[in-house]
Amino acid sequence: MVRPRVRKILADLWGNRMRSLLVIASITVGLFAIGVIATLHRVMTEDLRLGYAAANPPNIRIVAAPFDQGLVDHLKKVEGVRQAEGLRGFDARLESRPGEWIGIEFKAVPQDETRQIAQVRLVEGKWPPGDREVVIEQYKIADVNAQIGEWITIELPSGKRRPLKVVGVVSDQTVGAFASGPGFFLAPVQGYVNQETVEWLQQDLPYTYNMLYITVDGDSNDETRLWEVANRVRDEMEHAGGTVINIAVRGSYDHPNRRYLEALAIVLVLLGFLIVFLSGFLITNTMQAIIQQQIQQIGILKTLGSRRYQIILLYMGLILVFGAIAALTAAPLAYRVAFQRVVPLAKTINMAYRGPRFLPHVILLQVGMGLLVPQLAALAPILQGSRISVREALSGVRESQQGRRGWFDRMILRLRGFSRPTLISIRNTFRRKGRLLLTLTTLSLGGAIFIATFNVQVSMDRYVDMVSRYFLADVNLTLARPERVLEINQVLSDLPGVAYVEAWGTARSEMILPDGATGENVQLLAPPVDSRLVDPVMIEGRWVKSGDQNAIVLNERFMSDFPNLRVGDVLRLRLNGKETDWIIVGYFQLAGRSSGLLAYTSRESLLRVINQPDKAMTYRIVAEGKDLSKEEQEALGRAIEARMAARGIRVLDVTTGSYLSSSAAQGFAALTGFLLFLASLTALVGSIGLTGAMSLNVMERTREIGILRAIGATNRILLKLILTEGMLIGFLSWIIAVLAAFPISKLLSDSISQALFGNPSTLAYTPTGFLLWLGAVLILSALASILPARNAARLTIREVLAYE
Amino acid sequence: MPNVADTLSPQNVPSNNPSGQIPLRQPLVEMRQIYKTFKSPAGEFTALKNINACFYRGEFVSVVGKSGSGKSTLVNMITGIDRPTSGSVYVDGVCIQELGESAMSAWRGRNLGIVFQFYQLLPMLSLLENVVLPMDLCDRFPPTEREERARALLRLVGLEDYADQLPAEVSGGQQQSAAIARALANDPPILIADEPTGNLDSRTAEAVFDIFIGLREQGKTILMVTHDRSLAQRADRMLEIADGVLISDRLNGEGSLS
Amino acid sequence: MDSPALPDRQPIIRARQVVKVYPAGGRPVQALKGVNLDVYAGEFVAIQGKSGAGKTTLVQILTGVDRLTGGEVWVDGAALHRFDENQLAFWRGRNVGVIFQSFYLMPTLSILDNVVLPIDLCGDYHPRRSRELALELLRQVGLEEHAYKLPSQISGGQQQRVAIARALANDPPLIIADEPTGRLDSVNAENIFQIFQSLVNGGKTVLMVTHDEGLASRASRRLILADGEIVADDFVPISVSEATNKTDD
Ligand SMILES: Nc1ncnc2c1ncn2[C@@H]1O[C@H](COP(=O)(O)OP(=O)(O)OP(=O)(O)O)[C@@H](O)[C@H]1O
Ligand SMILES: Nc1ncnc2c1ncn2[C@@H]1O[C@H](COP(=O)(O)OP(=O)(O)OP(=O)(O)O)[C@@H](O)[C@H]1O
Ligand SMILES: [Mg+2]
Ligand SMILES: [Mg+2]
Repeated sequence: MVRPRVRKILADLWGNRMRSLLVIASITVGLFAIGVIATLHRVMTEDLRLGYAAANPPNIRIVAAPFDQGLVDHLKKVEGVRQAEGLRGFDARLESRPGEWIGIEFKAVPQDETRQIAQVRLVEGKWPPGDREVVIEQYKIADVNAQIGEWITIELPSGKRRPLKVVGVVSDQTVGAFASGPGFFLAPVQGYVNQETVEWLQQDLPYTYNMLYITVDGDSNDETRLWEVANRVRDEMEHAGGTVINIAVRGSYDHPNRRYLEALAIVLVLLGFLIVFLSGFLITNTMQAIIQQQIQQIGILKTLGSRRYQIILLYMGLILVFGAIAALTAAPLAYRVAFQRVVPLAKTINMAYRGPRFLPHVILLQVGMGLLVPQLAALAPILQGSRISVREALSGVRESQQGRRGWFDRMILRLRGFSRPTLISIRNTFRRKGRLLLTLTTLSLGGAIFIATFNVQVSMDRYVDMVSRYFLADVNLTLARPERVLEINQVLSDLPGVAYVEAWGTARSEMILPDGATGENVQLLAPPVDSRLVDPVMIEGRWVKSGDQNAIVLNERFMSDFPNLRVGDVLRLRLNGKETDWIIVGYFQLAGRSSGLLAYTSRESLLRVINQPDKAMTYRIVAEGKDLSKEEQEALGRAIEARMAARGIRVLDVTTGSYLSSSAAQGFAALTGFLLFLASLTALVGSIGLTGAMSLNVMERTREIGILRAIGATNRILLKLILTEGMLIGFLSWIIAVLAAFPISKLLSDSISQALFGNPSTLAYTPTGFLLWLGAVLILSALASILPARNAARLTIREVLAYE
Repeated sequence: MPNVADTLSPQNVPSNNPSGQIPLRQPLVEMRQIYKTFKSPAGEFTALKNINACFYRGEFVSVVGKSGSGKSTLVNMITGIDRPTSGSVYVDGVCIQELGESAMSAWRGRNLGIVFQFYQLLPMLSLLENVVLPMDLCDRFPPTEREERARALLRLVGLEDYADQLPAEVSGGQQQSAAIARALANDPPILIADEPTGNLDSRTAEAVFDIFIGLREQGKTILMVTHDRSLAQRADRMLEIADGVLISDRLNGEGSLS
Repeated sequence: MDSPALPDRQPIIRARQVVKVYPAGGRPVQALKGVNLDVYAGEFVAIQGKSGAGKTTLVQILTGVDRLTGGEVWVDGAALHRFDENQLAFWRGRNVGVIFQSFYLMPTLSILDNVVLPIDLCGDYHPRRSRELALELLRQVGLEEHAYKLPSQISGGQQQRVAIARALANDPPLIIADEPTGRLDSVNAENIFQIFQSLVNGGKTVLMVTHDEGLASRASRRLILADGEIVADDFVPISVSEATNKTDD
């Protein structure tokens, strides 16, 4: 026969299934959220690093004038070099839709795929590509607009067009890896072809390398060491008669989107902490509710001679069952959801996701939280219940409370002008202030996080809008070689639809470090000083203005890479083989710290330096109409291209402004989507918490409902009573949530902004989160109150009242 | 022991009297062939077996019987707190089983004053507020007068000094007295009390009984379950239940039902 | 009044100047105003008094269910005023059978389990024997057929009898009951009284609050409380009361 005390636990569990379910659901949802966040955090940070390292990425990339395998073999012997591989890269355009051309960056791979550095992972189709075949990197495969087996048309810088067959899709971890490039999100489509195809495409050139990939021995993450090796290689190369154009270095674990992921990770850690807190409160609150309902029974147990340890063991047993069921439910659920959620994210940030796996520390965290926190939370009320005198426990009136009624209690007791039923609700609400405080904290925290994620999301969205302020032109035109500005202006100005043309200077330069060594590549953009097509977002300092001499503004990447550079400092750049000093006048914010090193100056300054007064390769064109759609911009682009062709001017690239800003914003969009997911996760925790808290509250009232029924309360009165109480708590929690949402939004948004751009955010607020949560709170408190109340009202009064 | 039908006084002939006599008075409460069976995992238990009884306006009826004989169950049938398994109950012409829970509750609040075996006061309200509550719920008496009336009722049961205490802060007997005061709050025509003196000393019990007599004098109908035979015999009429069967129903003394 | 009659016998209950004050929201209520009481083993004491006189309060103090504001209480040599809650609980479970005015059964346990529970908690628990003992106790109070119901499925008087059976489960030397027959008809009340009487005959001590004149007059000793004070006590040395009881039977 089962011992009566064990039977009591079973009866508590099974006798009130609805309540047990609520308790378990409350614990489960907390553990679930913790599990999802911990899993995501672990998988993302781990896979990004390890996935990148597993591709054996180059630590040094050297762009040079054509060289051959002999030089490569020679350079392998340089001290510190582990592997060296030559490869050929070139830019072209591909026709994504009829008449629509987008940029593509090709790399040649050996036919037999003996490549060891920067290995790619086959996603679909075949690898390596055969003759006249191309394999595309997965990230921008959608832009290519072609399936495996279909043909695409390539246009080479020479203007020649060639068909290539798409045979595979790969994932390449090194896209956007080097600081001189535009970074991952702005990188063009990546294509891979074999050497034969290259020779066929570029018949005019014999097959040679123009790029060198090097991995180093030993510590491959120490940048200064990487530079040492790189400089040795450069010396050796130049010594052997080669011409080095530029050099970039990168650590073996330093995925191009590392910073971006750091931003995500910070959000996860912050939200994770908040959610751990939230779940802790939720579990505590639930446990306190459960034990509170048991205080009288603890009193009874004590009159029967039950010692403290027996009471504690008894309830610990009960709670252990709750916690264990919750942990067992939450762990696999979190596993599923988290790994499902990783997949799309992995694609957007080019992470080599290594598949679902068992994460012991996550399970441990969940089981620990599930088994320990409830026990700790319940311990206080259990101990309290076993410490107060039996009479107090039995009667439910605490002498200590009774003795000193604070001003608040007196105020509540003195409340007049309310009807008695309302008074019951108000008094019930404030009867157990400790519990109320806990419930309010839980609900408010959940609400505040929910609201905050919306605010942060809006801030991100707003930033995405700001990105387009750098791409105000409708069409960006790049010519094959510099043409006279006056002439292009003339050609374009009588094209219908064109309102305004600006010639922009562009240049690639190299940083000269204080010790005279060559540093990273810097992309220079030079709009006219009075340009109407850039509306920058400044972090510090100011934009270039007329009258400036050699003034330059830098993007956020400089701030994080060269924290010692300040506004007012001088930056030395090598341009066209000539070293020039530039004065830093400000820092602007564009696509985040994972983009390349980018600087703006005025076209006037640039021309003075490179001595090319009236020619330009890039032009920005504004249409007559305002706010053109993507399609209209594309149409204008086609018209421009046709006009250029008619005049015999070779065009390298035509890109619409919306395409540029949308690819710059792509990373943020992923982040926003992720935030939305986290918001719904907190909303889930908050909602279940709310429902549980309210329902448990009403369940405590079952007896009162019975009494009220017996002395004449109609459904309407009962409903009003229960709703008043539920909504009162719900609404109070909403007000607190609104207040708490401000600092939490600020915290979240600042940390994201700090990670992405290296500076605090400009926070935007949206009523959406506030209103959504208000709606959720009101609806949920109503539902969560009414449903159990209906259950209680459905019991015959006899059942409720039969037992004293 | 006299038969149920035999003991009915001429003026108390129930409407379903098979003799076909024209009833002289309409019964206020009428129970017809009431059966009540409880089902529990431990088996079925029939707590009431074919109960037929009528109560008339202005009667003071006591119900006695051994513990567990079915007194509370019987009373619950009349108050609508529980429903019979079969049979029907009419109170003042209303067939109360046909009312929904909500309507029944409202009806009960206006027409019945109930004193429960276990007082059933609301723990978060003071004794005074407990007494005001029924008036609030059924909107009886002008709101400004309610508190005054509640105080008067508490004075009646000797609790004026305890008006602002919570139920848990007074003795068992005091809670019971407060429950009696609450039952009287809406000035209901019918008062139903389940062992209203079970926790009272003889002097207080006497006082409560006097209150009941006074109410009967005002024309109220009173049904009281009690273990105290001496009290029971001082009511106008006494029902006795044993094992769910009404075994006797007789009038006590003369002249109280004029 | 409180001087022991037989010097060689120690009282099983000794209360000295017991004061109990309830804070009651800033308006303290003095429920006991310096009660002195000696009860000897084998006594059958009836406590009477008006509603609100302090009977329940006294019972709660003597069983250690509530703490005193002032004074001292020894029960069976244990100084209750010095015990903490934990010690009190264990002591009570083994030495006192308590029956409350509101019975305080465990709502989720069957009647039978309610009676077995004290044995499980601090008696000599044995699955089969304890169960049989509990069934026997339930039979004594006339409830064996209700053994498997829940407390909410039996009548008020039946609940009261369950509480009585439960109080006897650990066979305690001292039984303290607060109106144990308040909800019982005369036949059942008489039955309970007989049970108590036979326990007293077996050497146990019974303290019973009652409103029933008839029952009180048959106890070996009557105390009357009024306004927190003992106003009457017909204490007679135990040997005499035993003699009286013998002749009563
Ligand atoms: N928790 C409390 N707070 C304040 N006053 C209390 C409390 N409990 C009891 N009292 C008061 O103390 C006095 C004694 O109460 P007690 O319960 O001992 O009476 P009693 O003799 O058992 O009465 P009854 O026969 O009605 O049960 C009463 O006046 C009561 O109002
Ligand atoms: N829910 C239930 N399930 C099963 N049996 C029940 C239920 N409620 C009551 N009973 C049984 O019905 C019988 C009558 O109960 P009732 O409460 O009417 O008795 P009573 O006459 O009021 O007794 P008391 O004087 O002890 O209060 C009892 O034997 C009881 O055990
Ligand atoms: Mg009853
Ligand atoms: Mg009492």
